[in-house]
Amino acid sequence: MTSLYAPSADEVMQRLRPFGFFFEKSLKDLIRGIRSHNDTPEQLELFLEGQLSECRQEANSSNIELKTNAVLKLTYLEMYGYDMSWCNFHILEVMSSNKLQQKRVGYLAASQSFHKDADVLMLATNLLKKDLKYGNSNDVFKVGIALSGLSTIVTPELAKDIVDDLFLMLNSSKPYIRKKTITALYKVFLEYPEALQSNFDNFTSKLEDTDKSVVSATISVICELSKKNPTPFIKLSPLLYEILIDINDNWIIIRLLKLFSNLSKIEPKLKGRLLPKIVELMDSTNAASVLYESVNCIISGNMLDESDYDVAFQCLEILSKFCNSQDSNLRYISCVLFYKIGKINTIFISQYDELIMKLISDIDISIRLKAIELLEGIVSEDNLKLIVSTLMKQFMGDEVAIIETSRGNSKEIPIIIPDNYKIKIVNVILNICGMNNYLNVDDFEWYNAVLYDLAVISLDLSENDLGSKIGNQLRNLMVRVPDIRHTTIVNIIKVTSLDSIEIRLPTILESCIWSLGEYATYVENGDALIKLFIKKGLHMQYLTQDSLIVALVKLFSSWCTRNKDQANYVKDVLKELVAFLAQTNYSKSFEVQEISVQMSEILKLSLEALEEQSDEIPLLLAEVLPSFFNSYELTPISLGTQKQLPKGIDFDIDMPFLTKEELDNVLADQETLAEEDVDIYDSDRFSLASDNYHYPPVSEYEDRSSDDNETDKFKDTYNDFDDETYKEERRKEALSNPFYLDQSIGNGNHDNLNDILATDNDQREKTPNAIDIIKINSNKDEISHEAVKAKHKKKKKKTKKVKVLADQTIVIPGVSNISTYNKNINSTSPSSLPSSNKISLRTHTKLEDFDFAEQNKNDSDEDQELEKLRSKFEEQIIKEDNLNNSEGEEVVVIKKKKKKKSKSKSKSKEDGMLKKKKKEHTSNEGNQEINSPIIEENAFPYTNEKSKHD
Amino acid sequence: MSHIKYLLLVSRQGKARLMQWYTPFTPKQKTKIINDLTPLILARKPKMCNILEYSDHKVVYRRYASLYFICGITNDQDNELLTLEIIHRFVETMDTYFGNVCELDIIFHFDKAYDILNELIMCDGSMAESSKKEILNNVHAMDAIVSNDHLDRVLS
Repeated sequence: MTSLYAPSADEVMQRLRPFGFFFEKSLKDLIRGIRSHNDTPEQLELFLEGQLSECRQEANSSNIELKTNAVLKLTYLEMYGYDMSWCNFHILEVMSSNKLQQKRVGYLAASQSFHKDADVLMLATNLLKKDLKYGNSNDVFKVGIALSGLSTIVTPELAKDIVDDLFLMLNSSKPYIRKKTITALYKVFLEYPEALQSNFDNFTSKLEDTDKSVVSATISVICELSKKNPTPFIKLSPLLYEILIDINDNWIIIRLLKLFSNLSKIEPKLKGRLLPKIVELMDSTNAASVLYESVNCIISGNMLDESDYDVAFQCLEILSKFCNSQDSNLRYISCVLFYKIGKINTIFISQYDELIMKLISDIDISIRLKAIELLEGIVSEDNLKLIVSTLMKQFMGDEVAIIETSRGNSKEIPIIIPDNYKIKIVNVILNICGMNNYLNVDDFEWYNAVLYDLAVISLDLSENDLGSKIGNQLRNLMVRVPDIRHTTIVNIIKVTSLDSIEIRLPTILESCIWSLGEYATYVENGDALIKLFIKKGLHMQYLTQDSLIVALVKLFSSWCTRNKDQANYVKDVLKELVAFLAQTNYSKSFEVQEISVQMSEILKLSLEALEEQSDEIPLLLAEVLPSFFNSYELTPISLGTQKQLPKGIDFDIDMPFLTKEELDNVLADQETLAEEDVDIYDSDRFSLASDNYHYPPVSEYEDRSSDDNETDKFKDTYNDFDDETYKEERRKEALSNPFYLDQSIGNGNHDNLNDILATDNDQREKTPNAIDIIKINSNKDEISHEAVKAKHKKKKKKTKKVKVLADQTIVIPGVSNISTYNKNINSTSPSSLPSSNKISLRTHTKLEDFDFAEQNKNDSDEDQELEKLRSKFEEQIIKEDNLNNSEGEEVVVIKKKKKKKSKSKSKSKEDGMLKKKKKEHTSNEGNQEINSPIIEENAFPYTNEKSKHD
Repeated sequence: MSHIKYLLLVSRQGKARLMQWYTPFTPKQKTKIINDLTPLILARKPKMCNILEYSDHKVVYRRYASLYFICGITNDQDNELLTLEIIHRFVETMDTYFGNVCELDIIFHFDKAYDILNELIMCDGSMAESSKKEILNNVHAMDAIVSNDHLDRVLS
């Protein structure tokens, strides 16, 4: 029986709570619970769900301690991914508690969950204002917590409301508060840059604060701000420079160096002052991080020119020391810097080839990944093979790292080569070999073998890009290096007949197949190849099929001109080909469909012709079909040439090439010609077969095709006539003519075929039997490329030096240079494009867009001062140079002095800034003259301000 | 100067022990970062360097016993070596505070670990205080106030 006065269970709990007895689950219980329910994810989930609903109840209770406890637990659970924004208002209540512990929990929770929750933040503003008021000594931490919390949750509105309170606090007597205020101001400035504009001096005066940690915080905030917008801070540089000279705290030095590298990016004149100081620092310091930062500052602050060999080599010496060290972190970061130096001028790093070779065999893959980028800087004709073979060996994956265990034994751990590294290797090999139009490659047979190996390796790498890159290289070899086309084509055939390549590396095929088609004359057994492709063709990508169809026709035409005597076999192959095209005629891809229909029409005609005269190859196959492909040798043309063509020319597609009268004349000629034609043709063929020596070598074709042929052609047609009625007539004809497509092919490829067209026009009323027409009009100028090439190749093989064709540029008057266009292409590398998938650290802040110039308009005095400062900087540099030249000895003396000074400083490290300054003054008084060139107080108009702030 | 974008503490088993974000990420991004980084870093061998590239930024990590301290920093702008120093300073400070700190200390006193971290690194990710002594002083002072609060409560 319970007594009337006996307290209820609830009351007992209430009374015991202040003594630290909790009956709800504390955070510790929660953590223990999580640990004991850890067996399966489902179990844990269940447990956490239960806890979460408990927390929900506790958070809703009126008891502030219960609420705090719940919020703390929720903060912990947030780490497991449970959203806690639903209890933002409860957090606010906990934040407003007077107890420090609860406030701490509240702010911690707020910093995790308050992101941009406008409603809560509005309420939080007043609370923050209250918390930032400094009452008694215990309030230091309250303010500190509030400041920390503030900067994680600040929004533009909040920043605006709170900024005045913050500036008041900058004058607080407690360094702790000043320090925290400054860092909190950083976030405020990002959201509300106007505050920085109006309080710039007030803020920057903290650079001269008596407390070192405040100075340090100020420097680091300015450093961060200058990343976003360095312009307003340039005028601080004299002051900052002085701090850099005075201070011997490595943390602050590094921050200053960062800051200076940001400033120097936009103010090149700083270099003159800073560089000597940084070099001096590099000589005197032992700390790796300072050395690293110094080098980094020189590089990223644009202080290293292409011609600064001394500085560059000094930097590189440090880096090479790092690279040789045992510490893998040092090796890694110096690799990155190496790369940056190499980017400025590759000559700088070219002598470090041994070191870089060592680095690409580092046991740490991430270092290799960095070092491999350096290869472009050191590659030359002499070491290319070595580099490539080193890299190729790494594909084997049989390397081991020897790691010493704690007991003194060493054990071997195999180095796992990740796929992304392999992909990079392939890319780099392709890059360094293809550089400068194969400048470094002297043995193309070897390069062919390398490409084949790379293709085999790439089969297992799931990176489609590689296929097209290797394919491009093979095609480039084919086009650009005529002397080894025989080897290359064998290689290409090897690659294309790799097992299941159309599935595992489909992208390589497009270029390969194109090359096979274009250089079909090198292929002896085109029939086998055709059969192979017919088998594989339907499984290829549409893009590949596109080039496949044309290549098949090319292969076929070149093969059947070789095998004229086997008419029956040719017929069989042709049938197979037509059957294949019949399938692609219904392809889902329009491109494939179009090209397929075009080609199959021609082939069907050929087949008909073949069936008519089964004992010998018809003319259509022997002469006309090859003539589609062989009139011009294709040469490499520089990227973007097509874009250089003048825009806005009106092409009238319907306009015929000849006027009515001209046409009549031609037709009249044609009729008389046609009678004689058979004889001409026969004699012509004879000459083709017997002597090929008259045909111009390849180089002449190049000339012919290069310059103004095409433009002239355009002009001629353009200037000619415009006969409206004739046009109308032609259009009708075109509509009714089923071979219109074929005609256009002929037109595009060949001016020689114009006469075919003409007769075609003439005979259109009859049933258009293209075979007859074309047979009669086979053009005389038809050139047997096969023969010429064979000839050419033989000649070439005798000469040892391999000729690599360079890009041709076509100069069109009145159009800007192509090279500029190329540059544009290079500058927009795909890596610079932001991809939505990636997590980006870059957060856009208002500060970046903020125009500080507005302020400068208001007080143009400052602007002028800045100008003065710049001119003084310049004068000073000149003076210094003179001094250095005339009094080299003295400079050495000064350096010694400095070292001594820093020793004395380190003893009095704890003494604080003010004392140190005094000390310097007293100890340096005797040496004023010697010191003057380095410290140069007069150079800074701002040094006078010092007294104000002190 | 290192400006840390986030700091994660991950155990050898891949459990997150502590995480502090100094850049506003959406919850989705946060989980992506954790899920991506944890296996990446756990797979690394002891002799490998402590810096890796992830997405558009660098990640610096350091292993202490069973715990991995992972920091995200901006490419090209932050000093990797200094970041490692900061991590070490954080561990040192916790070590002194807890007395031979171990993973369990951090699990059960995660709020204390946060307090120390907040003293060491400001909420914007920059280093606030490099002196261990100073940090400990501040944390102890706060603890004293908290226990005073408790005492007040008991007495009332």
